[in-house]
Amino acid sequence: MTDTRAIILDTFLAVLKEADSDASPNVTDDMVLLESGLDSLGFAILVAKLEEEQGWDPFSVSQTPYYPQKFGEFVAFYDAHCH
Amino acid sequence: MPSMMHTATDLSSLLPAHGALIIDRSRAWHRDDLVCKTLIDLVGTDEPATTVVLMIRDPLVLARALINLDGKVARLCLLPSDLSPETAKGLITALGPARLLTDMPNHLSAGMPTVILDQMVQSSGRGCGQDPGPRQTTEWIFATSGTTGSPKLVTHTLQSLLRTVKPAKHELIWGQTFDLARFAGIQVFLSALLSGKIIIVPADWSLADRILHFEEHGCSAISATPTLWRKILMTPGHERLRLSQVTLGGEIADQAILQQLAATYQGARITHIYASTEAGTAFSVHDSKPGFPAAYLRSQGGIDMKIGKDGHLLVRTRAGLMRYVNDRTIFADTDGFVDTGDLVRLEGDRYLFVGRANGSINIGGNKLHPQEVEAVLLGSPQVAAVRIFAKPNPITGQIVVAEIVPSNPGEDVILFKQMLRQLCAARLKRWQVPAVFSIVTDLSMTAGQKLARSS
Repeated sequence: MTDTRAIILDTFLAVLKEADSDASPNVTDDMVLLESGLDSLGFAILVAKLEEEQGWDPFSVSQTPYYPQKFGEFVAFYDAHCH
Repeated sequence: MPSMMHTATDLSSLLPAHGALIIDRSRAWHRDDLVCKTLIDLVGTDEPATTVVLMIRDPLVLARALINLDGKVARLCLLPSDLSPETAKGLITALGPARLLTDMPNHLSAGMPTVILDQMVQSSGRGCGQDPGPRQTTEWIFATSGTTGSPKLVTHTLQSLLRTVKPAKHELIWGQTFDLARFAGIQVFLSALLSGKIIIVPADWSLADRILHFEEHGCSAISATPTLWRKILMTPGHERLRLSQVTLGGEIADQAILQQLAATYQGARITHIYASTEAGTAFSVHDSKPGFPAAYLRSQGGIDMKIGKDGHLLVRTRAGLMRYVNDRTIFADTDGFVDTGDLVRLEGDRYLFVGRANGSINIGGNKLHPQEVEAVLLGSPQVAAVRIFAKPNPITGQIVVAEIVPSNPGEDVILFKQMLRQLCAARLKRWQVPAVFSIVTDLSMTAGQKLARSS
């Protein structure tokens, strides 16, 4: 497991807990983000929190817009744009 | 289509006689299946002044009510099925004597003549009576989305709704995303019926199921809010849709979503529609760039636009005095211009949208008033000052951020932020709670000593 994946997973679980979600997803790379128990607002918060923690956000670094579908793609996008 | 309109025309008589018009879960519906005199008899429309309130959850039932009652009654009021019973009752009372047509008998007991649509009416098709033909021009009354307080009621007619509906070069098969009881939903519905067809889906279906259903029925056009489009792009299966028309409306579209839709649905026409319940459809932009060309300020297609003081965008789309039906207040100036409440800024040869005049922020389709959140945070003695503002976000367009000046600068930051989050979570809706709290020594002010609301 990469460091990026571990950080994202921790933050994801924290946001999920804050959202009072009953979901306890088995987080795999194939997990569809919007079927994980966290809604799109939750993922917006996740991106904002990761930026707060890491000091950067791959969505603004990237020249092209990106809308990830699966957890693995989300992690890979952060990995691809890390400094 | 507007050229076809004259006084003795109603929706049912405009429908093409051949070809499917609506596809639902079970079948395709043609004009003859949809037109049904039984429905008119049930409502009892003998009195020409009848006002009929439609509060209908099933999109097929609502579609059939609209097709059959336009031209037969004085007023059709469309209430979205997700309105609370209290709000719905308030609006119905403001309409005066009316009959209610609903498939949600337990949702509201309105104390008025009520027709419950049962399975018989829903399924009856051919042979349920000939359309008696148009009798009068029906007013269509829509509820605004109600950014603050109660929704307002706005009147249109079939003619004003069809003003911007143009026959498509190729028949489009629209996938329904907007509630048919909302202004945006009706625009798509009418476009589809008059020059294509519409695939309707129950409101409680998941987005993945909707997309699959659209794909199975050859959906070639979708109109949705930027918020919903972002969710569609995050849903597996969306890439299998073969769209030749992609329409965005209901919210301001940003560069990222326009660019990504153009890349995903290559060859599709990308249209950003600017409309409001009050003004109707004002204009559309097709170049996949945010904002609109400054040249649009010159009158085009009978629609006038101007920039008012403080950068407000004003549009004039129709003549006549415009009042809300329920509180009778006027929403257009003496020249017929409606203040959209959107602020624009000229950049080169283009106007860009910079926010709402009332300071509200769109968070994934919900309208947030920063003052509400600031008031909650200022309720804590540990908070000396606060600024709530929007920060761009790839997933919801924008997100809420709080800048806090603590009363005691020596505070443990982690515990302090935790306390602030809990305070907000206890008092506010989830989408109103700031995603990020940043602790600062003073707040960013604009030149006028007002709190800056954009990041």
